[in-house]
Amino acid sequence: MIRLDYRDSRPIYQQVKDGLRRLVVTGVLAQGDQIPSVRQLATQLAINPNTIARAYAELEAEGFIYSVGGKGTFVAESGGESGAARRRELASQAAELIRELRALGMTQQEWTQLWEGGQADAYNEKSGQDL
Amino acid sequence: MLTTKNLVKTFEGFRALDGATMTVPQGAVYGLVGPNGAGKSTMIRHLTGVYRQDSGEVLLRGAPVWENPDAKRCIASIGDDWYYFPQASIAEMASVYAGVYPAFSRERYEKMKGVFPLNDRGMIRRMSKGMQKQAAFWLALCCMPEVLILDEPVDGLDPVMRRQVWSLLLDDVSQRGTTVLVSSHNLRELEDVCDHVGIMSRGKVLLERSLSELQDKTVKLQVVYRGEEPSLPPEINVLHRSCVGRVHTYIVRGDREAILHRMASTDPLLLEAIPLTLEEIFIYEMGGEDYAVREIVL
Repeated sequence: MIRLDYRDSRPIYQQVKDGLRRLVVTGVLAQGDQIPSVRQLATQLAINPNTIARAYAELEAEGFIYSVGGKGTFVAESGGESGAARRRELASQAAELIRELRALGMTQQEWTQLWEGGQADAYNEKSGQDL
Repeated sequence: MLTTKNLVKTFEGFRALDGATMTVPQGAVYGLVGPNGAGKSTMIRHLTGVYRQDSGEVLLRGAPVWENPDAKRCIASIGDDWYYFPQASIAEMASVYAGVYPAFSRERYEKMKGVFPLNDRGMIRRMSKGMQKQAAFWLALCCMPEVLILDEPVDGLDPVMRRQVWSLLLDDVSQRGTTVLVSSHNLRELEDVCDHVGIMSRGKVLLERSLSELQDKTVKLQVVYRGEEPSLPPEINVLHRSCVGRVHTYIVRGDREAILHRMASTDPLLLEAIPLTLEEIFIYEMGGEDYAVREIVL
């Protein structure tokens, strides 16, 4: 489910956090679903249980997951504070991408196409013609 | 929980341990790293009560380990050279272990039969080095130890077995809270499994931290400036600096957010903070000890 990339510069707990977030955002894990226990994930990924416990603790503090004593950890109803914080984080990453795309000569129109879900295909086609 | 205080050991005038002080907290997975000849294996042989120190203390929960069967019953260890009786099979060694370790679990022994592709009736000395290592793991985990001490544990294991062994080990850690001390040169692997790290050099423990503390308190900055490199704000504690082309790389001690905030005032064209890997921490810390890769052309 969660894949760790050894060439990734992010620390491992961060990769676990992002991995779980992605699973929720893509709908692999639905609200209220139980996520693997620390022990299961530690065994499966062969990484230190404290690393996973740290990732879970931070996700819980962000309101992304919640734990029920004796039962396990579950995916929380999304939105709320966690959504806002995550949006800010992603927006700052996007700002950086946009800066680079603009420097590479992407126009606002092309960006709008991307935004509207025409996806990169439209952009690729065009740049393909350019070649 | 497992501590050494000012440990000194001399071999024919050579001080292999020179006042080594170390603390392995309860339930930690502690990675012991250091250059060749730093004293890691000597340290481990003291922790398991194989060597007697010249001076200093080795304590498990406050009690000395040396000649103390009560302490040793809680410690399982896989050394560099695993000892087994010359004609023994794994099953026979299991009986020996069961006689020494009161907590030895037959149930676990049977369970792990499926994990290791070994014939437990065959003679251990006929097995390959890697297979012997697997056998050592099998038996050590059956001892249900409170402390597991491993010297280069996955040396000689194939990639699948490495993962298998770490996975078993970490399952045991999360299930029973086993304290693990592991020495290795594979820092990439240690980074995954450890939560504490000790760096040894010349018979001393140079640095001892929790991994999250190490990674949160040191950052690698990559900075590009438009013109000349300006002088950095005085609050920035630079451990190491290098420059390739226009990219300046600083290793800075301190909190990531605060550093980024401060550095922004130098008006960089590009500013990136990258967490340090254990390997980098090792190299920079050892650099201060005058131990670095020398640039030699053959």
